[in-house]
Amino acid sequence: MGPLIPNGIITGDWNFVIAILLGVAFGFILEASGFSSSRNIVGVFYGYNFVVLRVFFTALIVTMVGLMYFDYFGWLNLSQIFILPTFWQPMLVGGIVMGFGFIMGGFCPGTSFTAIAIGKIDALLFTVGLYVGIGIFSLAFPLFADFYNSGNLGNITVTDLTGIDASWLALAFTFIALAAFWITMLIEKKIRKKITDYKF
Amino acid sequence: MNRNYIILTFLMLALAVGTLFLHLQKDTKQIQPEALLWDVLQPTRYVTTDQVAKRLIEKDPSLMLIDVRPAAEYTQFTLPGALNVPLDSLYTSAALANFGIPGAKVVLFANDAIAADEAWVILRRLNFKNNYVMKGGLNGWVETIIRPVAPAETAPETAFEQYNFRKAASMYFTGAKMDVNKDQKAKVVFKKRKKTVVASGGC
Repeated sequence: MGPLIPNGIITGDWNFVIAILLGVAFGFILEASGFSSSRNIVGVFYGYNFVVLRVFFTALIVTMVGLMYFDYFGWLNLSQIFILPTFWQPMLVGGIVMGFGFIMGGFCPGTSFTAIAIGKIDALLFTVGLYVGIGIFSLAFPLFADFYNSGNLGNITVTDLTGIDASWLALAFTFIALAAFWITMLIEKKIRKKITDYKF
Repeated sequence: MNRNYIILTFLMLALAVGTLFLHLQKDTKQIQPEALLWDVLQPTRYVTTDQVAKRLIEKDPSLMLIDVRPAAEYTQFTLPGALNVPLDSLYTSAALANFGIPGAKVVLFANDAIAADEAWVILRRLNFKNNYVMKGGLNGWVETIIRPVAPAETAPETAFEQYNFRKAASMYFTGAKMDVNKDQKAKVVFKKRKKTVVASGGC
């Protein structure tokens, strides 16, 4: 049956409607998970709050395993799904830059907007910086253009790259994620003991 | 520990282990039925025997001829340089290695166009491109290239050009010689010149 638009079940005009609905849902979940607070987010780096890791890993493994069942039931043809091309060098560097921004600013792009929605001034400054950064990158793009387009591996998946069956990868990833959940819970407990909770 | 977490952990693990038994479609490269239908309807997937003959004479390196008849028929006669991939062994990896070579133009043929057409559809479903079917097959080859029929006198000029090409191609492929019509051999008649009589007499 799916994907709906490429198979002509609904027209491409629905793209924007679906995008808005998904965006609303995404923002709602971010806010509901407490990601509007930069303390919750950077807690991962200090070891007192791993909610970011848990929420995103849960979303990831549920989607991954779920899509495989969808493919099996014939609801979604996985071979028709768009896979972003991998540019390994720029993606690696971009990830490092993003990591620095993440721990320094306390937000990732999505969460900064949900934080603005609830009226946080730090998030507002973060997004101002975000747009300044985008502007600088856009204007200086000719300098980065070669690097930006380097290391193109095409629209590949880990299965294409390694030849390991997708279900084994899913199982391995699920196992790692679940192990991470339990281990981080223990770390949280240990570190939270040291934090004195002053209650007024 | 929270009991819900434990239950959810095991549920997730069970679901992930379950994916191992799904037998997900491994060959995801098969093309969609609608795309296949469009390709089957394309008349350009057929090539004429003349086109094949021309490329053979030019020794085009990109041309790949595949004979899909059984091996016994292949050993009796085939086109020059053709490889044998019998239709019933098309799915073997050795046979499939012949297809999908970048730049190569694969022409499939059999005695008629039907077996070649079947092979073409199977190969297209396996997402191999640049395959063609020789129109008329080897029967058509014999009728047109090996034993061409002279066009009627009222036929257009292009028909005569085609006939001349086929005649020449026939000689190229069979080694036949130009048949010379002996009856119509023009006799060379020598005309004896009469001796001109030099004006005699005189002084």
